[in-house]
Amino acid sequence: MSNVRKTFGKKVAVEGIDLDIPMGSLVGFIGPNGAGKTTTIRMIMAILFPDSGELTVLGRKSAVESKDRIGYLPEERGVYKKMKVGAFLRHTGRLKGLPPRGLNDRISHWLKKVELPDVWSKKCEELSKGMQQKVQFISAVLHEPDLVILDEPFSGLDPVNMRLLRDLIDELHDNGTTVIFSTHVMSQAQQICDHIVMIHNGRKMLDDPLRDIRARSAPKAVWFEPLPDSFDPAVVEALAPIESVRFAEGHYEATLRGGVDPADVVGAVAAAAPMARVELHRPTLEDIFIDIVKGTGEAADEDLRAALRLGHAAINAEEVAR
Amino acid sequence: MNPSKVMRIAGREFAATVLTKGFIIAALVMPVIIGAVMPLVVIMMEHAKPPADRGELAVIDKTGEVYPLVVDRLKPERIVEARQEQAKAITEYVKGMLPEQLKDKAGEQLDQLTSQQLDSVYEQFGVPQLRVIELPPDTDVEGEQAKLRAQIGQAAQTERGADRGLLAVAVVDANAVKPTGGDNYGSFDLYTVPKLDDRTIDEIRSAMRWSILERRYEASGLDRSRIDAMTNVAYRGTQEVTETGTRESSLELNMLLPGAFMILMLMGTMTGGQYLLTTTIEEKSSRVVELLLSAVSSVELMTGKIVGQMAVGLTLLLVYNAVGIIALFAFQRADLIAGSTIAWMLVLFALAYFMFASIMAAIGSAVNELREAQALMTPVMLFVMVPYFFFMPITRDPGSTLAVVTSFIPPISPFILMMRIASTTPPPLWQVLAGVAVNVVGVVVFVWLAAKVFRVGLLMFGKPPNLATLVKWVRMA
Repeated sequence: MSNVRKTFGKKVAVEGIDLDIPMGSLVGFIGPNGAGKTTTIRMIMAILFPDSGELTVLGRKSAVESKDRIGYLPEERGVYKKMKVGAFLRHTGRLKGLPPRGLNDRISHWLKKVELPDVWSKKCEELSKGMQQKVQFISAVLHEPDLVILDEPFSGLDPVNMRLLRDLIDELHDNGTTVIFSTHVMSQAQQICDHIVMIHNGRKMLDDPLRDIRARSAPKAVWFEPLPDSFDPAVVEALAPIESVRFAEGHYEATLRGGVDPADVVGAVAAAAPMARVELHRPTLEDIFIDIVKGTGEAADEDLRAALRLGHAAINAEEVAR
Repeated sequence: MNPSKVMRIAGREFAATVLTKGFIIAALVMPVIIGAVMPLVVIMMEHAKPPADRGELAVIDKTGEVYPLVVDRLKPERIVEARQEQAKAITEYVKGMLPEQLKDKAGEQLDQLTSQQLDSVYEQFGVPQLRVIELPPDTDVEGEQAKLRAQIGQAAQTERGADRGLLAVAVVDANAVKPTGGDNYGSFDLYTVPKLDDRTIDEIRSAMRWSILERRYEASGLDRSRIDAMTNVAYRGTQEVTETGTRESSLELNMLLPGAFMILMLMGTMTGGQYLLTTTIEEKSSRVVELLLSAVSSVELMTGKIVGQMAVGLTLLLVYNAVGIIALFAFQRADLIAGSTIAWMLVLFALAYFMFASIMAAIGSAVNELREAQALMTPVMLFVMVPYFFFMPITRDPGSTLAVVTSFIPPISPFILMMRIASTTPPPLWQVLAGVAVNVVGVVVFVWLAAKVFRVGLLMFGKPPNLATLVKWVRMA
């Protein structure tokens, strides 16, 4: 993707995005709702077309030419409610260019894999939402694509099915499939992906291997849980390298002053009072995202965190287009 | 565009529509059921009627001459006689209008049917049993009206078929038989209890009329049977002169056939279009559409859907056409339809359908539910109504300026051309070919515009768009 721009009426959905996704990588697209992730993905899929900029997918000028080599699980997904699961998967499989021979075996194999061995003759509407989602996932991977794009694949899944799906994504990646995984829940991307692309307000803010991102982000806080109930946080706050102390989510968080050695601080905190736990807190993707956005002076820390959690960060681009 | 993907989409669209109970019932079984049920409904309506009325008719005869004839004419056996005469006259008239080939066979059936019909009427309804009494000419009419009024509400309490007492009062004008001053003939007034059976009223009226006429003829010294004979001009079909001789022209069929073809085409177009609208909205609202767009382009999806539903419309068209052709063979008028007419119908249907269907696909993609589509459908429905408005003027004069001009205005043009081709004076070939060419351009424009709306609309959710928004999308795509 090179300098790609997409607008809906007056609203700029994607602005000057350059992106190069190496074959075989597992890339996380992260950013709050409305950041431009889905628009970017739809352009990769040739469902939308950029106003300007260049785009090649799997070596072709447009994904239209290589749709059979791409699997896509859209965020806005559904099934033909009255169709039987087997027939639905046959239909999508055939649309993806699979020959009729051996198609049934392939579908049965995948249904067993996602632990839905007995749904072949059931109508799609008889399945729960989570089960439907697994059927949709099968339709995205049935034709063994070279590139799989998953837009918010975990939304609406219970933890057991989330784990199942995560294992399947790992398996695809291990088999050499390129996977683009888009989510606004940054912790999910952090757990799965080896490369992160961060999008905010239609612009790319970050595009690096996760390893490098984490290496760059030095710890800025120490988390600790004191033993006695009568612990006085002022004891830690009085330490020279500590800027402030706050209590949140069952533990204390001591923010470090700039230029201090984190290893020294861990020792000093442990010595200040009897502790059950003291650890260096590495910044999460969410922290990194907030740092980057704060750097642009756009919004306050708490507003951004709330936006990320609630998923109401921005208005749907299409709504604005109206 | 990948043809195999388009055909796959079309195949699913066709199967998902045609292989549903709803379609089979609505499109195929329903007409059969209606055909079978109609006679039953007619019979049931006859059954539902109350039995013949029994009661009194009071006649205030100011002429002093009509009353005795009314008494005679309303005797049950005379009523039966009169009805038989009437039915015979109608049957003869209808027989006269039948084409020559059908006269013997169908005429026989018609006679049989009429007598059966009469038998069933007597059996179910019987003949009103009316006691006719005479009141003095100076009787107070309002007083008699009051007696009728007193009966209000009593009918329900009276046993079915029992004598209900005074049912009606007839007042004959003094000059009903002999005119006062020149030809100023009087008439009669009839007052009845509320909701008297319409067949009883008909019998009374026809008896009054018959009796008054009878007295007028007598007074003028005329012979009724001669007048009847003189005023009867038997119907004979018009003969069309053909190359080899003559042929009975059937004006009704000549007018009906173009109409039938147009309606068949409209039906096929509308059915396919409606299903297309519904399935598009379904795919959009169930969010399956983006999954489909990951496998096919929006143009492939739209084309596949349009082609699939065209097959649905065509199925209907062929089924009904086959029924119509079988019926024409049965009536030995298969000569009315040329093979080329059917061929043209298929071509024109395809053109009309593609234009209509692209509008439906665009609307379906733009809205989130069927209810929202209604607002955008209104202008489309107007288009559909236009061929109906033009049916009479165009079948009467298929070569008129109106007919020629409208033959070149898509999207109504295919329907107009169809009516003209099926008429007795088909248009010159160049007009048909030029009309088809204009429609081909029309199809390209409609499909092109629809594809633009379709591409943008499918992924738009939220408030339903208006026409201005659709135009914006066309510019945007």
